Amino acid sequence: MKIRTLIAANAALVVAMAFSSHAADKLLFKAKPGKDMKIRIEGTSTIHDWQVEGPIIAGSLEVGPGFPVEPGQAVTPGKLDATAEIKIPVNSLKSIEKDGKPYSDKMDEVMLGKLKCPPNRSITFHLTDLVLKESAKAKDAPYVCEAAGDLTVAGTTKKLTMAVNITPLGDKKLKITGSTSLKMKDYNVEAPVLVGILSTGDEVKLIFDWPVVLAPPAAAK
Amino acid sequence: MDMNDNEIQPSDYNRRDFLKGGSVATLMSLMGGVRLFGQTNAEPAAQNKPTGQKYKVAVIGLGRWGREVLNTLALAPHAPVGNYLVEVAAICDNYPSALRRAGELIPGVIKTEDYKTLLDNKDIPAFIVATPTHKHKEIVLAALKAGKNVYCEAPLANNLDDAREIAIAARSLPKQIFQVGLQDRSDPERTFLLKFIREGALGKNLMTRAQYHKKYSWRQQSPNAQREKELNWCLDKSVSLGLLGEFGIHPLDQASWYLNAKPVAIQAFGSILAFADGRDVADTVHAICEFPGGIRTMYDVTLGNSYDGNHEVLYGTNGAIMMRDSKAWMFKETDSELFGWEVYARKTLFYKETGIALMAGASKGVVPSSSSAEENAALSSPLFYSLGNFVKNSNDYTNAIADYTTNFGDDQEGLLKHLSENVHKRPAAGYLEGYQATVTAVKGSEAVQSGKRVEIAADLYELK
Repeated sequence: MKIRTLIAANAALVVAMAFSSHAADKLLFKAKPGKDMKIRIEGTSTIHDWQVEGPIIAGSLEVGPGFPVEPGQAVTPGKLDATAEIKIPVNSLKSIEKDGKPYSDKMDEVMLGKLKCPPNRSITFHLTDLVLKESAKAKDAPYVCEAAGDLTVAGTTKKLTMAVNITPLGDKKLKITGSTSLKMKDYNVEAPVLVGILSTGDEVKLIFDWPVVLAPPAAAK
Repeated sequence: MDMNDNEIQPSDYNRRDFLKGGSVATLMSLMGGVRLFGQTNAEPAAQNKPTGQKYKVAVIGLGRWGREVLNTLALAPHAPVGNYLVEVAAICDNYPSALRRAGELIPGVIKTEDYKTLLDNKDIPAFIVATPTHKHKEIVLAALKAGKNVYCEAPLANNLDDAREIAIAARSLPKQIFQVGLQDRSDPERTFLLKFIREGALGKNLMTRAQYHKKYSWRQQSPNAQREKELNWCLDKSVSLGLLGEFGIHPLDQASWYLNAKPVAIQAFGSILAFADGRDVADTVHAICEFPGGIRTMYDVTLGNSYDGNHEVLYGTNGAIMMRDSKAWMFKETDSELFGWEVYARKTLFYKETGIALMAGASKGVVPSSSSAEENAALSSPLFYSLGNFVKNSNDYTNAIADYTTNFGDDQEGLLKHLSENVHKRPAAGYLEGYQATVTAVKGSEAVQSGKRVEIAADLYELK
């Protein structure tokens, strides 16, 4: 019994060190690949709506003191101490049917061409500002934020602001979700057109689920 | 070696050749067939202008089938995935004249008589092995060991031990693509049909029938006696699985695929009737391949007569489906249930009966025919799709592995999970399908040579 108590105390100490003692320092969260990681792009065309998904959102999130890392943590709305570098490999994006089945190699090919891959093999996002708009209303509820940063698509970088939800899951994990709309023309991406048959809308919606996990100290250095 | 062998010889003619193009479709419509189309993503070449990086392959073996592979890859603007083109970066054959002739068609290609010189070439990530069957093993094993993605023609080998060794090696390397040249499994028309049949379109399966008839010696000439012997390896039963093994492997595999069952026995008879030229491999073969439940495939192949060419028919209680090349027609029984899309179909006469021609697909599995789809079906052979899928799958694996390891490090377990869950592989025969088809081919060859019924134990199809 005493041993169990000791182990529990040590575990609590480790967590406390991660989230409290180290709170004075930065905490580094890294992307954790898996089924719950997904980037989705939705668009329209003259024939039917289309959707593209990718399983990889690589990168990391570095946060400072006061960032919501524990479920139900009390955090005052306002600017959060956080930076992030996010990278989505363009090759991993694939067109899909509404039911999730693969759609078209041809569309994938066209998309890669329009996104100028190669040489631009990734879509990247550099987080510059994160503002907490609304603290979590329950232990399993998200912290509602507004993220601003530089989005680079097809080699063109533009400032972007989007709504982001951050949900601490416990066990050193965060679930970050969000969505935004953007115009392809802003990134010098020409909307695909099949002459006489199909043309696609300029505006697309970007939706993401980005799970991250606290990096072990060695990785965080 | 393949049933679609296209070497042109003086005696190489076929009635079917006179009926190519729209004539076949017209004829089949008049016979009352319902023309079935699978969805294809192929686009006319003019619209397909990939401009990106090339995916490089080496073609090993430049005999008849190797040349067919090269010709097919020449259509590569259809084949790439993403912004990639296929590039034949190297060719290999141990016969200098074959190497020189093929090299003249591909400026700048690496030409070598020894495949080993290509193993360490990191610029070439894939091998297409089209050598004689009995020479597959050494090359395939070396290529896999060197980290190459490998396309190996069917059958895998001319004996079960070699086939098993190849398949087990491929199984042990899940980060590499290994594809077997059972090209019909990559044909979109046939993958479409598989779904249609598995959904019960034919009712209860009764039997299948297949034939390959062609006036064709299967012999090649060379002024060099040693070279001629090597060229005609398929006529030498000490190394060749004969017609049933080299040609019949495809329709027998298709029967297994559609019936979703493995043969339990095979009985076959072979004779040398048309070409008694010193060969010891039959030029005419009849086979009965038995499946569980009393279902049988009847297959006959002859090189002495071309009547009615090459086709397969599946028979069920509700109708029959005939497949010729990449095309298929359905002949429904009058007492079978309506699918629903018949109301959209055109009626045509077939002898004394009224047949149904498909005009617009009303079922989920049947799509309307379009001229572009039809043209592409005619232009695009199963080999074309098979090689295309190999390149696409190889390319996707290469990219997925690079993306994952670059971003998430050397997490092998995570990488394999990523490949398994997130990379959609196009239809293709893998190591297991290739091994199992080779088991049937080897046993079929045994049956031809013995003239006896050969049983095939179920566990022989398992890779141990």
